[in-house]
Amino acid sequence: MANQLLEVKELSVAYGDVQALWDVSLEVEEGSIVALVGANGAGKTTLLKSISGLLHPITGHILFEGEDLVHLNTKHRVDKGIVMVPEGRRLFQSLTVLENLRLGAYLPKARADYDDSLERVFALFPVLKDRMNGKAGLMSGGEQQMLAIGRAVMARPRLVMIDEASLGLSPILTRTIFDLIVALNVQGTTVLLVEQNIHMALKICSKAYVMKTGHMVLSGTGGELLANDDVRKAYVGERGSRL
Amino acid sequence: MGSLVQVLTNGILLGSMYGIAAIGLSLIFGTMRIIFIAQGTMIVLFAYLVYWSFQKAGIDPYLSLLTVVPLAFVLGLGLFYLLFRKAAALEDRNVSLLLAVGLMYLIDNLILKAWSATPRGLNISYSSAMIVVWGLRVSWLRLALLGLALASAFVVYAFLKKTRVGTAVRAASEDMEATTIQGINSVWVSAISFAIGIALAGVAGVGMATVYSFDYQFGFVFAIKALVALALGGIGNVFGALAGGLLLGIIENLAAYYVGIAWIEIASYGVFMLVLIFLPQGLFGRRALVKKV
Ligand SMILES: Nc1ncnc2c1ncn2[C@@H]1O[C@H](COP(=O)(O)OP(=O)(O)OP(=O)(O)O)[C@@H](O)[C@H]1O
Ligand SMILES: [Mg+2]
Repeated sequence: MANQLLEVKELSVAYGDVQALWDVSLEVEEGSIVALVGANGAGKTTLLKSISGLLHPITGHILFEGEDLVHLNTKHRVDKGIVMVPEGRRLFQSLTVLENLRLGAYLPKARADYDDSLERVFALFPVLKDRMNGKAGLMSGGEQQMLAIGRAVMARPRLVMIDEASLGLSPILTRTIFDLIVALNVQGTTVLLVEQNIHMALKICSKAYVMKTGHMVLSGTGGELLANDDVRKAYVGERGSRL
Repeated sequence: MGSLVQVLTNGILLGSMYGIAAIGLSLIFGTMRIIFIAQGTMIVLFAYLVYWSFQKAGIDPYLSLLTVVPLAFVLGLGLFYLLFRKAAALEDRNVSLLLAVGLMYLIDNLILKAWSATPRGLNISYSSAMIVVWGLRVSWLRLALLGLALASAFVVYAFLKKTRVGTAVRAASEDMEATTIQGINSVWVSAISFAIGIALAGVAGVGMATVYSFDYQFGFVFAIKALVALALGGIGNVFGALAGGLLLGIIENLAAYYVGIAWIEIASYGVFMLVLIFLPQGLFGRRALVKKV
């Protein structure tokens, strides 16, 4: 069996009394790009937040390199290299680009590599270097998404989980962001990608999962899912015009 | 004309106290999303400590800054972890607010028990010392208040802008969850900003001990004044909060001078209402005090 970096096993999560995930399982192989797709409200963000430690499961396990994370808080998970680029970017708008990046490298381990990480981020996203001292909130949507990813890169992630990177971006910018995600992956970072832009996500991933109303309903290689009639009808077709 | 300048000067000097308190409120509001209504009572508590160490041991109030401010900081950390930690994590801010109200009355009554209801005030050797600049008569102690306020504002500003934790405090004031996502212990960050808010109450307590007469009920009034100052200056900006305090001092002194002492409170609360309605962001604020949850 391949070397799994992350294994989610039969995870159930609820918001108060309202259950949002039922026995969800997923595996992410070290060095791969895994896509997670599904309609609005399927539970993708809930799953990512649970892996980050922002939400706590009722039952189930989250293994990272074989170690169960369920009892660790977000800080310790980030320290182990699990970093999320949240839905809606969630930049610190009134802070400068550089301050946002600095906060990404807040923990001691990441801070020790601050200079190297910064160089890496500026190489991936040269525009961030130009706007270094400007306020994050004043940048364009695409630049803000780059900063959100850059901020995660500053944490020296082993696994970066990106929630809806292309949301609100033009097709050209979406392509740029996808190229950058691939570049990041080529540099050795494992990626778990939540996307509305299913066609593109399935193209760059090695494995994909489909969620529906809190359940994991399908998985396979990107190619398999692209060829799957149900997936095409349900997800790819209706968004095809955007691609 | 000379007297108008005198009125303005007095306003600025007394407004310094509101300014220090407002900076504290602003910091605490940033991460806890409540008006920390017990801030005034904390100031009075520290004023009593300053008063007491002067009476018992002859310690100069300004010297007691060295003990009171660190003590206040540690007390702030303790209070946060003991009282507010759980409540701060709740969506509903009312629990934190009620805790602050309870804390205020608790401390008020502890003060009453410890020091009785008699108003206190310090009589230090240099209490009445004045300097005259360009024909203005200024008391040293009041001038020192402005010094305290400016020093507080600069220290807090430098902390927020130049330090790692300070940057995290600003981040947490904007988006607590996003701060947690960076691997930052946002509970600790909230605790630090709360503790700095209480340390500022320590600074203001020294100021209060030297120029005011205070009793166990004075805290609430003072907290409301600080709130007015904060509304005037606006949330999310250290120097804005300070400016709001100075402005409130000026407004109060102008009202007292031109229409009479009885109008001081009417003027401050009138301005408060007007600001909330017509200028919810305050003069220099980043966000509205009343809108943002
Ligand atoms: N804070 C919350 N409190 C209560 N229920 C929530 C909360 N957040 C999400 N939910 C519910 O949990 C379910 C899964 O939501 P989630 O945000 O994980 O979906 P998603 O797949 O990320 O959707 P989208 O594509 O819209 O981002 C939905 O039914 C949603 O209404
Ligand atoms: Mg989502």
